[in-house]
Amino acid sequence: MANVATTNNQSKEADALSSVALLLAGAVFLLMMIAGLLMRSAQGKLIDLDPTLFYQLMTAHGAGMVGAAALSGAAIMWLFLGRHVSLNKLAFKAFLALFLLGVVLILYSIFVGGFGGGWTFLYPLPAHSGGVWETAAAATFLVGLLLVGAGFLVLYFEMGRAILVRYGNLSQALAWPLVFRGKMETVPPPTIVASTVIVIFNSVGTVVGAATLAISLINLFVPTFEIDALLAKNMIYFFGHVFINASIYMAVIGVYEILPEYTGRPWKVSRPFAIGWSAVLLFVLAVYPHHLLQDMVMPPWMLVMGQVVSYLSGLPILAVTAFAMLGYVSGSGMKWDLASALLFLGVFGWSVGVVPAIIDGIISINKVMHNTLWVPGHFHTYLLVGEVAMSFGVMAWIVRSKQDVALFSGLQRAVFWTYVVGALGFAMVFLTSGAASVPRRWAVHAPEWIMQDRIATLLGIVTLLSAVYFVTRFGSRLASGERK
Amino acid sequence: MQQHTILLVTIIIMACVALPFLFAASAAKDKGPQVGWLGYGAQRSLVAAMLVVGVAVTGISLAVWPHSVSAGPARQVVNVTGHQWYWEIEDVRLVTGSPVVFNVHTEDVNHGLGVYDADFRLIVQIQAMPGYLNQVQYTFEKPGKYRILCMEFCGVAHHDMTSEFTVSAAKS
Repeated sequence: MANVATTNNQSKEADALSSVALLLAGAVFLLMMIAGLLMRSAQGKLIDLDPTLFYQLMTAHGAGMVGAAALSGAAIMWLFLGRHVSLNKLAFKAFLALFLLGVVLILYSIFVGGFGGGWTFLYPLPAHSGGVWETAAAATFLVGLLLVGAGFLVLYFEMGRAILVRYGNLSQALAWPLVFRGKMETVPPPTIVASTVIVIFNSVGTVVGAATLAISLINLFVPTFEIDALLAKNMIYFFGHVFINASIYMAVIGVYEILPEYTGRPWKVSRPFAIGWSAVLLFVLAVYPHHLLQDMVMPPWMLVMGQVVSYLSGLPILAVTAFAMLGYVSGSGMKWDLASALLFLGVFGWSVGVVPAIIDGIISINKVMHNTLWVPGHFHTYLLVGEVAMSFGVMAWIVRSKQDVALFSGLQRAVFWTYVVGALGFAMVFLTSGAASVPRRWAVHAPEWIMQDRIATLLGIVTLLSAVYFVTRFGSRLASGERK
Repeated sequence: MQQHTILLVTIIIMACVALPFLFAASAAKDKGPQVGWLGYGAQRSLVAAMLVVGVAVTGISLAVWPHSVSAGPARQVVNVTGHQWYWEIEDVRLVTGSPVVFNVHTEDVNHGLGVYDADFRLIVQIQAMPGYLNQVQYTFEKPGKYRILCMEFCGVAHHDMTSEFTVSAAKS
């Protein structure tokens, strides 16, 4: 009984900390959406934005959105992992402190130091600003990212420790007896299997990212310390891919835990589920060369691996999580409210977003799509309509009330559908522009492209307004203590 | 494949993925068993079907290596070097009908060589990376002016990093 009481107390702590982190992530989402809107409206010649400022906003938007997606994902994972294992809340506080310190440095480097080298800090661009930013600004940005990464490592190590204490070894936590022998005595819940996979692959990803940041920092101050540009590119995209994918995989834990409350059907770890998540572990680590398909100096087998694994990555998403969710939902007699609708939407956005990603992962198609607006098209689909929708769903669930199902017939339903149309439309314009060969990351657009930019701006405004509703509703209900 | 065909195929597949979501969402309110096509057997069939399609697409798309560069005597070679923020293109007379190999270097940061046709459509691209020589081959069928745009973010004047070259009609 003492154990149960401790777990309950831990859960409440995890709940409060997660809510704070989610609110912070929500605020960053809104600010970065504004930055995104400014960029799209500048491309559409609706406002005048100096290219220097455009690329600073672009750097902030990239770092901020990746950070907020990862923060919201981590908050969701912490919240629900705390239901199954005993977590030390100090780790989450240390994570938040390191995260915030990192954010301060990143913002300072961009808006005071003038750093505008993109969130991917592609070597050796941070050291070659063409007079726009000083070495110190680039270094501050890199140190900021390093602190954010260190925060995530603290969090993952604590989560990994807690899982090992509870389940004894990784094999049990990954449900490998079920994978290899088809049965096991006590099958772990979905949150444990997913969390274990994420802790492993994102620890590896973050360590590689930290190593890349460290060597880039040395290069800034000691230019004779040169890095092989191809190696640096491999490390950066390995880290970047793993890190942003982890945010979606973390957020989907919210779907596993919350939807059963609506459907009355517990989400079980079946053999396909366990196999799917073990496959995710392998695929997430192996797929990154699909970012380097136009680097023909890469070993061809790696590019082929990038294309093939890109496709295979869709299997666990579509055939395991999405398919299972549709099965649980259908015929369940569940009632929709804002939370369940947004979580359902999140899995939908993730699933459809995989399609243009797989298409772009085909080397011959990548030849005419790489680094066009097709790329932000696919990742806005599975982030804006996927991860972000899931995060808004968890926020709505945390502050849900008994009236929510009834309320979903009015304003809330309208705002939900506005978000669906706005976000999906916004992403689809990116895809259309990509098909029209519009290059990505261009501050100034040719006259041929402006109409699409303006349509995107309008859809972006609609998306932002709905997002403001979701976040402020969460914040005000949290503040007034209207929780569960 | 033309980009607009790629877009159309993508939208069709996205719609196919979206349909089961719509069906399941509309069947959520009714209390009863889940609809038949969402059973365990169907899940296995879906995985099998996706694997078969995957093998076919992989085979077809990689039958000819997309980065292959010909070594034949008929090829034309042009050296291109990227700088922050301009392209230096070797002054070579290029003609239609025989392959052009672009040898792409950079003197500073990563750039991306994107070749656009008269309709402002991206027809081929390759990255430019410090310390490496990247090559890409394309056979121009139509004479005229072609534009080069930078496809890899390279700093504050990335969007100004454009150039052009001319391809003449081959003498028959």
